[in-house]
Amino acid sequence: MASKSSLLKVILLGDGGVGKSSLMNRYVTNKFDTHLFHTIGVEFLNKDVEVDGHMVTLQIWDTAGQERFRSLRTPFYRGSDCCLLTFSVDDSQSFLNLGNWRKEFIYYADVKEPETFPFVVLGNKLDVTERQVSTEEAQQWCQENGNYSYYETSAKDATNVASAFEEAVRRVLAMEDRAEHLIPTDTVNLHRKPRSNTTCC
Amino acid sequence: MNKYSFSSYVLIGRGDACILILWLHPTFNYFLLYDGSKVKEEGDPTRAGICYFYPEETPLEQQELLCGQLAGVSRCVAELSTSPVRLLRLRRSKFAVRMREQFLWALSSSVDVPDVSICEFLDQLISLFCFYNGPVRQSYQLHSRADLSAHWAKYLSHLQGGSTELHHIFSCLQTIDATKIDPLLLLKAALILQACQRCPLVLAGCILYRGRIVSTQMPPSLTLKVMVHETETYNQEHRPPANERSTFSTGGQSSTMTTPVFLNPSEVQALHSAGELCCFFSTSRSHCSPQPDPRARKSRLLSRTLSDTPFSEQDLTNSSPSASCQTMPCSHRSSLSDESCFSPSPGSSQDSAHFAATHQSEDSSHADSESHDYKLSNGITLSEVNGDSKEAVFGDKEETMIKTIIGSVEEGNSLTNGHHLTLEDEKDQNHEDHERHLHRPVKEERLDVGRRVLGDSPEKMWREENRTCGEEIDSELLPMVLYEHRVRALVLALLVEPQFPTDRTAPEEVYHSSLASLNGLEVHLRTSSSGAPGPPGPYSFAHYDCIQNTLTTNLSGRLPGPQDRSFVRATALLHSHFSHTYSAQEAIIRSAGAAVYGTRSAAQETFFLQHAATARNSGIPNPLDSAFALPNKARHRLLKHGVNLL
Repeated sequence: MASKSSLLKVILLGDGGVGKSSLMNRYVTNKFDTHLFHTIGVEFLNKDVEVDGHMVTLQIWDTAGQERFRSLRTPFYRGSDCCLLTFSVDDSQSFLNLGNWRKEFIYYADVKEPETFPFVVLGNKLDVTERQVSTEEAQQWCQENGNYSYYETSAKDATNVASAFEEAVRRVLAMEDRAEHLIPTDTVNLHRKPRSNTTCC
Repeated sequence: MNKYSFSSYVLIGRGDACILILWLHPTFNYFLLYDGSKVKEEGDPTRAGICYFYPEETPLEQQELLCGQLAGVSRCVAELSTSPVRLLRLRRSKFAVRMREQFLWALSSSVDVPDVSICEFLDQLISLFCFYNGPVRQSYQLHSRADLSAHWAKYLSHLQGGSTELHHIFSCLQTIDATKIDPLLLLKAALILQACQRCPLVLAGCILYRGRIVSTQMPPSLTLKVMVHETETYNQEHRPPANERSTFSTGGQSSTMTTPVFLNPSEVQALHSAGELCCFFSTSRSHCSPQPDPRARKSRLLSRTLSDTPFSEQDLTNSSPSASCQTMPCSHRSSLSDESCFSPSPGSSQDSAHFAATHQSEDSSHADSESHDYKLSNGITLSEVNGDSKEAVFGDKEETMIKTIIGSVEEGNSLTNGHHLTLEDEKDQNHEDHERHLHRPVKEERLDVGRRVLGDSPEKMWREENRTCGEEIDSELLPMVLYEHRVRALVLALLVEPQFPTDRTAPEEVYHSSLASLNGLEVHLRTSSSGAPGPPGPYSFAHYDCIQNTLTTNLSGRLPGPQDRSFVRATALLHSHFSHTYSAQEAIIRSAGAAVYGTRSAAQETFFLQHAATARNSGIPNPLDSAFALPNKARHRLLKHGVNLL
């Protein structure tokens, strides 16, 4: 099964301060740094992972959440295989903004079929005691907006971080499987149509 | 000697286009290192003392002739004047000379190269060698001449290659074109460097992209040294791999390596004190000991992150220059009136630290002869240099017709005397400075550094004379390590303590804390450097930032016309003149075809040429002469390039 190793681009989007950089660092280097700067523009790290027998190189793109960095980050949405929409469970505004992030991503990444594009939603900072967003609320939003997977994570104590990224990989692989099934039938149609037209007339 | 004085054409690749640049002067005619200790007896052959000679293909007899003569002349002049020789002028060429211990260095160029530039080049060469090889005497004991010759050749070619003639005139650093990238990326680079400093073994760093500076925390002289290795490894990586160094973690496009280097005590002190100047709060200075307590530094450095402070728009604009001692190639900060750029600048802090260092060593070694030495050495140098200035500026009949000095110009004796006086005062002030230096809080220090830089030019000249004079370069070089992390064309270069490579956690910590950001910065720079340059405008300008040692110009992006050649030549003359005539602030130099306006302050020099503005040049002084409109034009035109002359 583990025949080809492919590069998957996964992008983390969400409000500033929800913990996107921390999630990436936790997953790739298994470290947590309380003194991180605000991300300016974009950053990325690679990690080789094996998910369900597939070897993939995951390229995780971390983006700046602040509005003033928008022009720096948006050019790098293009070519993403999966988008991780991130909010902080102790910040309801970051949850309310998920829709805007989704819209921004679809627009700048030039996603052809937004309905089927693999999004995964992450509710970070699970370790914080004062929650503002309940699990049910978040799950409901995910169901209503396209049946996205939802993970509650904590980059600080490493809860669910790996499984969230692995889910992203699974989503992408599932998409690719489906695409492989679909493509042959499409191409056949395209090639045959002109010929059938001429015989008709 | 004439054989080597030729003009040559050099092709310089810049972006997609190849630009033909006309070199008005041969860069270096000769370079030699001669060890007098090897030639003591009558029977000792001169060749025994020749450690290195450039061009290497010069016949040995000629090498011996030149070395013997130069050594003799330099020794004679030095003994007659009881001061070291700095410059020997011949009819068609000149030699910058350095004598230290039994060694003699000489670097020759044509007379067109400003004195100050050729002396600066020689100092750079020597300090480059010491940076990578340690003390010269020791290097020649440990390694073969052939090996070390390869090093000299490398440094020579580095200093000669890659940059435009304007860069050669100012011997300045190559920076990325800040007008083509988002300023936020400069901030990003600065933050990466700051994050690295959280590791207590990291002294300071710089970030380079395609061999040009994006951001640096180091004084210009140190940045230059670091860049040599960067360029070298970059070239190596673009060739098939020849020799592997101590590369310890390689992943795809990203690799790190460490190289042993040597810093002189004043540089180390400058780095430590620069680190402290970066603090938002004042702490007692700890840099008196060369190796500060790592724990003490750690707690201080950790508190110096931007994430600890509210992150407002103002932070974006203010934090980088004032908080982190960055040298960013944003020329807009180095305006005449902008005082903020002076206070915590790396150059000035280095100088102030250097003052203390020289003074200390002098005190301990030969306190009696101290002031005598300084006075003489500077006095002699000055009068020499004065003679040059007249010949270079006034005596050039080919192009220079009239020269108007607008600012106040002191000449001849009055200048020399004045200078002597100032030096005397300066000595006293030094002592006071040194005393205060050790006791006062950082804030006051910053103000004072600012005042020093703004202060009168003889003082600055004095410092420049002594900065790389080299009396102490060799004395006690401290081993350090240069750590480099490359992501494609982007390099993070850090000067780290010697124990860094073997430290259990530090290399990994620094690597992981910066990798993602470096990846990001690299893609940002790669995608933003493709912008086409705007129209150059009907003028040429060059703006030299003396503090950061950087140059902003609109000249390099196009084919040089005849006016550009005049401009470069006039700039060289004016720069040379400014370097001798401390009190001159503005000058216009003109030929029949062009007039170039130059203005300078303690922090910058700016040169401006308006194209096709010769209509009203009648040859005699005329109030309607278009040359008199140049200062105004320069002020207005250069504003949009971020150069504020108002």
